[in-house]
Amino acid sequence: MSSSLVLRSALKRTFGRRIAAGPISQARYATNDAAQLQYVPGGPIIQGTVNDPTSFPPSSRTHGSHHWAFERLLSASLVPMTAAAFVTSGTAYPILDGVLGVSLVMHSHLGFDACIVDYLHTRKFPVTGQIVKWGLRTATVATLIGIYQFNTNDIGLTELIAKAWTA
Amino acid sequence: MQSLLTATRSNQLSLGKRAFSSSVSRWQAVPQQKPVLMKEFKIYRWNPDQPEKKPELESFKIDLNQTGPMVLDALIKIKNEVDPTLTFRRSCREGICGSCAMNIDGQNTLACLCRIDREGSKDTKIYPLPHMYVVKDLVPDMTLFYKQYKSIQPWLQNDNPPSGTEHLQSPEDRKKLDGMYECILCACCSTSCPSYWWNQDEYLCPATLMQAYRWLADSRDTNGAERREKLQNEMSLYRCHTIFNCSRTCPKGLNPAQAIAQLKLELATE
Repeated sequence: MSSSLVLRSALKRTFGRRIAAGPISQARYATNDAAQLQYVPGGPIIQGTVNDPTSFPPSSRTHGSHHWAFERLLSASLVPMTAAAFVTSGTAYPILDGVLGVSLVMHSHLGFDACIVDYLHTRKFPVTGQIVKWGLRTATVATLIGIYQFNTNDIGLTELIAKAWTA
Repeated sequence: MQSLLTATRSNQLSLGKRAFSSSVSRWQAVPQQKPVLMKEFKIYRWNPDQPEKKPELESFKIDLNQTGPMVLDALIKIKNEVDPTLTFRRSCREGICGSCAMNIDGQNTLACLCRIDREGSKDTKIYPLPHMYVVKDLVPDMTLFYKQYKSIQPWLQNDNPPSGTEHLQSPEDRKKLDGMYECILCACCSTSCPSYWWNQDEYLCPATLMQAYRWLADSRDTNGAERREKLQNEMSLYRCHTIFNCSRTCPKGLNPAQAIAQLKLELATE
């Protein structure tokens, strides 16, 4: 009985060691095998070891605080601009009409751009992300051209809304 | 000696017989038993040893009157008495270690600070923290969260430390850290943030950002410029869209959203 116990514990020890050694050699192999542990943004495989801090994207105030401050100031200035356009007429103040048109388009561009960065960032969607990003840029430029044409050759943005309101 | 003991005991007994507490009517009274109040807990189960089996909600019914008041008490009771394979993290059971953070009835909170809803007809659903990789059952993988916390260098950095004395700080300066140093990094706020769900790899979560501001607001720290410069990009800070889930869910009643707002203000007015 006692000899079998000793045998069993010895067996367990040898097998235990072998089991413990198994995954280590496997893990080493797996690290060398790039395909198996490839980093995917947002995926379960993390970059670096557990003790490494995550890295920061390159610093850029254009994409950081300036972008944020511009976005907020633009949103805030749209309020008095809309009010001014409401009490005046577009034909009498074409500059205001033009500035309002450009601000509205920029405001929507920044909003859509934030959605794209949130949900369809190019690091996760290399193809779709690029298509959507450039699609948005094209749409913004086209809208700006359209608004310019409409404001110079036709009744303009404010007058259109006033007309549609009373229609 | 023994005879003396028996004598005293019989003496006590005879005294007790005359007391009100041992009168006949009292003897007939039955100690009141607590009624049975069964409550169903539905707990997320997933076992990495059976990867082919999909995660599922397992139902446990326990008597609330034989359980402590908090959800953690119920979980410990289930683990002790019903299913020892139920896996969850817990340590201090008083809301200071942040181990038992989980999603209880749709709200990220600490199981040890969350009272059991005593409505027996309604079940309580318990999930691990949302949008985290699950290690087992209610245990999420926090590796990335800790790596991100490390990236903001959460320690005092001062290039000109006072020699021979401690860092002195005025009471007003110390007060700026209140509401931030209490954070226990349970990740309840971070995992309630949709921005962190979508961009976990790049966006520092509310908890980390609040700690980033905690070190910026510290009057003894002189590395502020470098700390701010690191956050000047599209992803690390500015994926915060002021959703306020973080402040709403914080089991410690802290306000990460305010810290992030102050961080944005500091960066913009720098």
